[in-house]
This record gives sequence, C-alpha cells and structure tokens, in this order.
Amino acid sequence: MRIGEHREVLVARAQWLARATVGLLALVGFVYFFVQVLNGARYRELAENNRLRRLKLEAPRGVIEDRHGRILVENLPAYSLELDRARSRDLGESLRFATEVLGVPRDELSGVLERSRRSGDFRPVLLAENLSLPEVARFRVARLEHPEFEIEVTQRRFYRLGEHAAHVLGYLGEVSRDELAADPGALHAGDWVGRRGVERAYDRRLRGEDGERVVVVDSRGLPVEEFGRRLGRPGQGLRLTLDAGLQQEAERLLAGQVGAIVALDPRDGALRALVSAPAYDPNLFARKLAADDWRALVGDARHPLQNRAVQSAYSPGSVFKIVMATAALAEGVVTPSRREFCPGFAAHYGRRFHCWKRGGHGSVDLEAAIEGSCDVFFYAVGRELGIERIARYARLFDFGRPTGVDLGGERAGLVPDDEWSRRRRGHPWYPGETISVAIGQGALLVTPIQVATMVAAVANGGFLVTPHVVADSAPAPRPLGLAPGLLAPVRNGLERVVNGARGTARGARVPGLTVAGKTGTVQVVSQEAYADTSDAPWHLRNHAWFAAYAPAERPELVVVVFVEHGGKGSGVAAPIAKALYAYLFGPDRAPVAAAS
Amino acid sequence: MRISSDRIALPSLPLPEAPPRLAQLAGLHWGLLASAAALTLVGLLTVRSAAAEMGGGYFARQLVWVAAGLVAMLVAFAIDYQRLLAWSTPLYTGGLVALLLVLPLGHRAGGSVGWFRLGSVGLQPSEFAKLATAILLARYLSAESESYLTPRQLARAVAIALAPMVLTALQPDLGGAAMFVPMVAGVLLVGGVRPRLLVAAALVALVVGGLVWSLGMQSYQRQRVLTFLAPASDPLGAGYQARQSKIAVGSGQLTGRGYRQGTQSQLHFLPARHTDFILAVLAEERGFAGVALVLGLYGAFFVSAATVAARARDRGGVLLVVALVAIAAFHVLYNAAMVIGLVPITGIPLPFLSYGGSFTLVNWIAVGLVLNVDYRRYVNR
Repeated sequence: MRIGEHREVLVARAQWLARATVGLLALVGFVYFFVQVLNGARYRELAENNRLRRLKLEAPRGVIEDRHGRILVENLPAYSLELDRARSRDLGESLRFATEVLGVPRDELSGVLERSRRSGDFRPVLLAENLSLPEVARFRVARLEHPEFEIEVTQRRFYRLGEHAAHVLGYLGEVSRDELAADPGALHAGDWVGRRGVERAYDRRLRGEDGERVVVVDSRGLPVEEFGRRLGRPGQGLRLTLDAGLQQEAERLLAGQVGAIVALDPRDGALRALVSAPAYDPNLFARKLAADDWRALVGDARHPLQNRAVQSAYSPGSVFKIVMATAALAEGVVTPSRREFCPGFAAHYGRRFHCWKRGGHGSVDLEAAIEGSCDVFFYAVGRELGIERIARYARLFDFGRPTGVDLGGERAGLVPDDEWSRRRRGHPWYPGETISVAIGQGALLVTPIQVATMVAAVANGGFLVTPHVVADSAPAPRPLGLAPGLLAPVRNGLERVVNGARGTARGARVPGLTVAGKTGTVQVVSQEAYADTSDAPWHLRNHAWFAAYAPAERPELVVVVFVEHGGKGSGVAAPIAKALYAYLFGPDRAPVAAAS
Repeated sequence: MRISSDRIALPSLPLPEAPPRLAQLAGLHWGLLASAAALTLVGLLTVRSAAAEMGGGYFARQLVWVAAGLVAMLVAFAIDYQRLLAWSTPLYTGGLVALLLVLPLGHRAGGSVGWFRLGSVGLQPSEFAKLATAILLARYLSAESESYLTPRQLARAVAIALAPMVLTALQPDLGGAAMFVPMVAGVLLVGGVRPRLLVAAALVALVVGGLVWSLGMQSYQRQRVLTFLAPASDPLGAGYQARQSKIAVGSGQLTGRGYRQGTQSQLHFLPARHTDFILAVLAEERGFAGVALVLGLYGAFFVSAATVAARARDRGGVLLVVALVAIAAFHVLYNAAMVIGLVPITGIPLPFLSYGGSFTLVNWIAVGLVLNVDYRRYVNR
C-alpha cells in the first residue's frame, strides 16, 4: 500500500501542475482578450492606417570631379511614381488619372502594371520615373482622391557632361542576383552599383552605406511620426586625374569619327583625357525602365558602349617602328651610323615588299628612317632581329598584356611569335611574316592605351607607367632596364618626324612647342601597295595612328590618336594631336602643372 | 532489492481487470488525440496562409511532415513503453552521439549547426534528444518509492538533462537548450522536491542566468533581452518585430480580418510568420475567436494528458507523461506570451501549429507515447 500511496502523491502533484498550466493558459488568453477585444480597435487602426514603413535612407554616392575640381558626376533628386494597388478603389480610374497627368499612352502604364503582377497585390509598383515637378505637384494635390499613388524621392546619378568622358566615368545599373549573392553583407536588392569605368572600378569607395528610417504613415501614406532611424555613411568623393576641358576638346576633335584618344602624363601615367568614339549618354542608364535605350545601344553596329581606348586592339602600323628601333639599338643590330638604301622596295624570302614611298627614301640611317617612316630600313632590321627578339621587346613595353589601367575590361592585345603560331594556328611561324610585323602589320595587335604607355616610356627615359584616372591607385613606374642614352637616337628620330624637313607629321607642328611623335597607317585590306584609300568605302579605308609627346625636351603630355578607317595617320590623326597640344600649351595657356 | 520491490508489489495493487483488446482501445483517451489533431488542422491552414506569398512550398512540406508524424505516432504507440524505458540508456546515448556529430557535420545556417541535411529534408537531433532524455528521466526516477527525492537522485536527474542541454547550447541554440529546463523541472516537481531545495534551486538559477548573460549569449540575444526590458532602445530590430506582432494580434479583434486577409501577415511585416509567429497570423486573421479556440484546445490537451497521467499504471508512466507534456506546455505558454509581447523573443515554436519538420515529428511521437502509457494501464506484460 505504501507504493500505491506514493503513486497517489505523484498523481496529485501532476494534476496540480496541469491545473497551474491551464491557469497560466487562461491568463495568457485573457491578455489576448484584452489586446484583441478590449483594445482591438486601436490596433486595427494602427494596422490599417498607421502602418510602419521601413524607408531606406539612401546614402549619397560620391561625387566625381576632374583634376581641377570641376564636378563631372553628381546626384540629383528624382521623383518616381509608385502605385499601391491595395489602396486603389478602382484600378482603371487610377490608370486613367496617371495617364492624364503623365501624358503617356495608357498601354505603357498598364503594361508596367501587368509585368509586375507576379509580385503579389500588396507591394507598390514602380509606374514611372523622373517625374517633373509639375507632375509631382499634381499627384500630391490629388492625394485625397488618389491615395494609391506614392511619390518616391530618390537620388539619380547625373553625368553633367552627358556623352563626354562617358567611357571613363561608366554608369550605374541595378544590382543583379549574382552580385547580391557574391557580396551579401554590402548589397541589397534594388541597390545601384557601378557597371563600367570609374563607377565600377571604384564602386566600393563611391558607394556609401545606406541608413534606415522607420516611420509611422497614415492612410494616405504620409509619414506621421518617426519611429526610429539609423544613419548611413555617404560615399567618398573621387578626384580624377582627368582634365575635363582637354577631354571635351579631344571629343570635339574626334566627333563623327570612330576611334580613340589617350592623353597621359608620361611622368606618372596620370590620364588627362581618354576618349572613345562614338560614345553614349550614361544618363540613359540612370533609370530603371530603360530597356529600350539599352537595346538600342547594344544593337548599334558602331558599338558605342565599347571603350576603344582599352577594349579594342588594332595593328599598330608604323607606330611600332619605335619598338623596332629600340630593339635594334639594344641588340646592337643597328648603330646610329648604319645606313640602308631604300629604292622603294626590297626583296625578302623571295617576295617583294614595297615601301609606302614608291619613289624610295634613298640612303637613310636610323633617325632618318624614323623621320620618313622608311619601311625598307625596318624590313632589314626586322629580318635581322627575327620574330623572337621582336616579340621580347614588344613585351618589354607591356604589349600583349593589360597595362593595369583602373578602368576595367582591358584587352591584352597580341604579340605573335613561333610558339603562338604553333599553338593557335597549328603551323610554324613563317619568316615572311616577320617582315610584316617589322612595320606593325600582321598578327600584332595593340590597344591605344598600350601605345600610350610605350610612348610614355620612350618620352620619360625608360620607365613604364601604369595609366590611371585616380592618383592613389597607381603603382610607381617600373624601369625598362635599357642602357642609359640608348633611347636618344629614337627620340631624335621622333622629333624629326614632326620638325624635320622630310617628317611624316609636319602637320603636327605647334608654334613655341617641340612635339615629337610617330604616324601610323594600317592597311585594313590587302591592297596593291599603299594606294590612297580615301575614296574607298568607309570600312575598307586605312586606320590612322599618331602617337606623340611634348615638350620634347621635358615631356609632360603623351597623346595617342587612333581613327578607325580614318585614312592616313599624317593626314587625319596628327592634326588632332596638334590641336590638343595647341589647346593645352597654346600662347594663352599655362603649361601642365608638374606631377605630384 | 529495492529496485525489484516495484515489480513484486505490483500484483497487490488494486488494478482493474484487463478488458478485452477492442474495449481496451475504446477506453483510450481519444480526447487527447482529437485535440492534437484539431490543433494540427488549424496549424496547416494557418501555415498555408502565412506562407502564401513566400514560395518554398511550406504548406505542402508541412503536409508531408504531419503524415510522417502520424506514422511515427503509431510506431511510438505500438512499442510497449515499459520496453522503451528498458531501452532508455541506449536511446539516450544515441541522442548524445547525434548531438555530438551534428557539431562538426551539421548544416550551417544563420551561425549555428543544429541540422542534419538529407537532400531537401532537415533533421534536428536536439528534438529527438529531448524525447530520449524524457524517457531516461522517467525510468531513472520511477524506481523511487519515498515521497521526496534524495539529493543524490536530484543531482543525477539534473546531470542527465544537462548533458544534451550543453551540447545543444554549443550549436549554439539557446532556445532549444532551454527546453530541457521545463522537462526536468516538471519531472522533479512531480517526483518530489523539498521546498527548501526549490528555494536553493531558484538562487542557483539566478547565478547561472547571470553567467549565461555575460559569457554564453551572443550580442543579438542580449540585445533581445534588453529590447524586451526597454522596447524603445532598438526600434529597428527586435523592438520592431515585437511591435509588428502585437499590432497583428490586436488588429484581429474579435473575429479577425478573414483568412489570408491579414495586412500585417501578408505585407511582410511579420518575421518568421510561418514558424515562431504563426499565432500572430492566426490572431490577425481569425481574431480572438481563433486564439480562444486554439488555447482551449491546448487546455483540453493538457487536461487529457493529466487524466492519462492520473490513471497510469506506474511511476514510470506518470513521469514519462509529465516529462513529455511539460515541454509542450512550456512551448505553448512561452510562445503565446512572446507573440503578444509579454516575454523576450526567442525561437520557441508552437506545438502542432508552427511549421517545422523535426518539431512536428517529435510532437506526434510524444502523443503516441502518452497514448501508449494510457493503453497499457491495465496490463502487466
């Protein structure tokens, strides 16, 4: 019986526990009764009218300035229209009203509405962007009749120069799903991130950290009181090395053409201007509903989105003779006194190679060969050097690999040699091809910015710079390791190209300034020996190069001009460089300030 | 010889004669099963509404889990609970091993590793360890015949619960670890603890609480407690959740806003609305009427369980029922109080209602075990 008694004690305690539980349950039940029934009306009102809204406190993106502090990119307030379908009494009437105010076809708005049907009936739909202030005012005034419309004030990126410097600055786009997954902490759905250029390369710096505000809004969606806020951190501003005036002048000079201009300081690689034509207006992308504009740009046969200065590789043409001359001197293949006779053609490996000058240059040394761009001289030099040594010196100048410019998407170009030929073409290198490469034709491909760093290295006495638009990001210049004074004959030759009696770029002379440079004309299709192509259809015309630096005594600015299907380098590209030097060093202009 | 005295003394107990098998089934406490089934039905409908805009097929998955739970209940019912008590040591050891294995092998989500992932199915070993611990506690304390437990027994009972509790806390899952406390408290209170020991235990709890606060808690957990004590201190974080939940509950008023019509629930104001805040969704959409129905069903479930405990054949049966129901009762009371803002927000779901695989499975196994104790109240096999 003892055990039985203890079981009773146990049962009694268990039942006491059960009663306590039920008692507590009843107590909680009463609290629910108190909140739901006795105070329910108040909470219903809170839920109905005084909803809490989490609002993003958008951190302003950093402002971008040029080297003189001129604002290139800033943020402007933008008004967009959202429709909260849950609060619309009659969707048809809502659409009619919006159509009337915005003056757009009704189909456009109903189409937007239809596309966002999937997101559920509760979330507001973005109906239109970039409303004008009068439009905003009309929606505000109609607030009582149309509580379903909300005006969102956001910041829109504004590119002050429009198409100017578009390829350097880049643009923004809404963050993609992949980017969200890659960087979960920093990015949120609906954020805007840099897509190209500086906006992309310095996205983290420019992008701040969004804050958040929780507000109580009434039935019309107007904030009634603030529940709390967390401040964000604004994005950092960015000062570029670019000179907006020079940039605009360069773009004006290239207007209507297809091509690229690179202007940089050979002392540190700071880019002063970087042009790719044709360009686009980055302001087009500052909207979410820009699908049509985007398609038009992507579909454009002239590829305006492409940054030709860093993303396109071309044959360098005679500009490559600068590398050839350097290689020949460094390898001892030529001495400054060596002469070649140019009758206007030469035979190599059983083939006849023409000089661009049908009448021939006569007897020329290295400097004269550079001055007159004598092909026959460099055919001989190329044959003696061989493709392997040519390739080695091309790579010494960073051809065949990206320069590291802080703009992204850079192409490496191509330096061909025997190994490349076997790997990519399946046959050995033909010696005859070396003769073509010697004058910058053939498989060799370079980007305009690579040409600019090559010329800068010659100009600054043998240092490879990393081109950049933001000063603090660039590594220090690297020495090429050439013997001191080795480049002097090359520089003399380049000076004579512009200033000599037989120079090919006499049209680039600027009064009061010694310009040095090299022209290049690239055959697009094989033609009967350098016939003038200016009458040919556009896509068959030659590409024009001019790569220069000035002042020749103490170089401060390298300018590389490339015009796709422009014709002759001397006739098309050189005058553009001349105009840029005149703009910067002209009589009423102070010289470029010393690099920091 | 005291251990075996239980067995020897049994025939002298005034037990009723065992009726025929079918009548035995009819004598089962069907009210317990009915209230659990009704709660599950309400839960399924509410999960369907709460997860309607979420994607991820929560409703369909919960249906599968409920079906699995019913099968598990039948299994738990079929095996004689005496045999389960006899197997309690290996069961408990298995639970500890699972908890140990989940630490290096578990699926990492939200900073903790409480899950084994098998394809798209997640299993939470801490839930099953709770069952095993309940069975071992019932078995260990069933041997006692004094009206109060000895200090040695108390200490060993606490140690039995402490091992899985610490392992769960290491995941870290403090909410899950805390669930061992009501279980061990329930069986000890029913088993018999002297009042002065209760006072001492309260003091120890205070000290341990202080240590957990300063050493064992993540900063967000500390923040939640602070938020509870001073809601205005973090209006954007936990305070926001608590306020949204309370608005949802209150706006339901007497009869609710209608199925799938809750603006709070459907407008994504409510976090974890298909799991921990399922009651807020129900309260908003079905009003106080819905809440009263659910709380009433829980009341019926607990009273039924108490009836089963009262007519159980032996101490082991009583304590097993108490251990199992104590966890469920704590879940219900804490969750209901949390949803309406009476206690800090912690991840403690609502039995039978909240979405969750292992949790649904374990609740139905518990129902099976309680019915198991009830079914075998006559016989001594």
